[in-house]
Amino acid sequence: MSDKKTLGEMLTERGVSRRSFLKYASYTASIMALPPTAATAIAQGIAGARRQSVIWLSFQECTGCTESITRAHAPSIEDLIFDFISLDYHHTLMNASGIAAEEAREQAMKDNAGEYIVVVDGSVPLKDDGIYSTIAGITNLQMLEETCKDAFAVIAVGSCATFGGIPGANPNPTGAVPISDIITDKPIINISGCPPIPEAMTGTISYLLAFGAIPELDHLGRPKAFFGEAIHDRCYRRPFYERGMFAKSFDDEGARQGWCLFEVGCKGPVTYNACATLKWNGGVSFPIQSGHGCLGCSEPGFWDMGGFYKPLSTATGDPLKWAGGAAVAGAAIGVASAAMARTKRNKVLKEGK
Amino acid sequence: MTRDSAAPCLSDRVTGMALSVFTEIGHLLETLADSGEPGSIDLRSLPLSDADRAQLEEALGHGEVRAELELVGESEVWETSYPGVWWIRHRGAGGKIATEEISICPIPQILITHPADIEAAASRLRKELETTHV
Repeated sequence: MSDKKTLGEMLTERGVSRRSFLKYASYTASIMALPPTAATAIAQGIAGARRQSVIWLSFQECTGCTESITRAHAPSIEDLIFDFISLDYHHTLMNASGIAAEEAREQAMKDNAGEYIVVVDGSVPLKDDGIYSTIAGITNLQMLEETCKDAFAVIAVGSCATFGGIPGANPNPTGAVPISDIITDKPIINISGCPPIPEAMTGTISYLLAFGAIPELDHLGRPKAFFGEAIHDRCYRRPFYERGMFAKSFDDEGARQGWCLFEVGCKGPVTYNACATLKWNGGVSFPIQSGHGCLGCSEPGFWDMGGFYKPLSTATGDPLKWAGGAAVAGAAIGVASAAMARTKRNKVLKEGK
Repeated sequence: MTRDSAAPCLSDRVTGMALSVFTEIGHLLETLADSGEPGSIDLRSLPLSDADRAQLEEALGHGEVRAELELVGESEVWETSYPGVWWIRHRGAGGKIATEEISICPIPQILITHPADIEAAASRLRKELETTHV
């Protein structure tokens, strides 16, 4: 349950210093692409906030999103988020089960009416009255509507909750829909990805805590701090793309030399996410760095876009339709920027001569 | 799949980015000297290669002050050879760098004890003295 003390008071009693808040705030400011000077305001905001009640609902999903946010490692700065929130309901992680678990959800809703955050992973089946996924004797649809009624905000995590994901892929046998198709009267933040980057989830929650407001979102309801740039724009292999140096297969010389993976199906140019900068597994790597093209998992309909190994230019689906206007516009801007950069570079070289 | 060594092929190249950051630090230091207004640069947000980072660290050098902090993982703070220019490195899971910044200021906030911590310390010490009979 939410504590009536502020997080600053609560954690000071436990020996957590304000320096730790400031360190966490510096980390949050960095991943949210805020200026480092915002760290002091974030630290003050979090220290003055109450412990945030969070109700986590899991519907048609694989638990990969939960795995992502709770990835196991030594206690560190990234774990402080679990001191800042009160995870009042999460049927995979909580000790209680059955009636006791559902009572915990109802109690949290009652105690924190209008203030709690609902996090949802998984899509919601609507076909045949939603009978394809039920929890505690009610459909996912009923649980979602009931729980979101008095929420402050809803965070849809993972591509299933944000866009329908794999359950919603063709032929979508259960009539799976994203959360935004059902909840229309609450602020919804979409954090897509299969799974989403953990920092995108924790950073967004920290922002809500520190400022009591929703971060700036893109046209798909995703925080711009994490989804504002295409993978391609921040990819370290981008220089090879500019020079037209492409791997033609996964075992050719180009692949061994680390050339651009566009022609073996990389969807980086039309995929908006922070994998190329935040990376995965504590910053170790991301798919392209490991030699595989981006699947485009954070974009709507990624499963149906025509084949993971077909280049965007030859995919059987309609990549323009698949990627959405803004994504394509972003890619076009990227290409235009590259062309301008090349022109500028050539001019500088010419003038230098 | 590509061999692993193919991946970081650009990480050991000097791109010139260090010089840009160095120049920016110069502007911010002049502002601090003229008006007292502090500034910061988030190194993580910049496309610095490992070689760029090493070049920048070498160019800035190490000054008179160095602090190691033990708070939810390790942190290191040192004043560079240019007084007023501080390098702050916070480590996260597995000792990896979580965030890193150049702070241009008289003393970084992270080194200053917060009033709430001082108050809590005074309270704790008072209780300790009440139960201690020396």
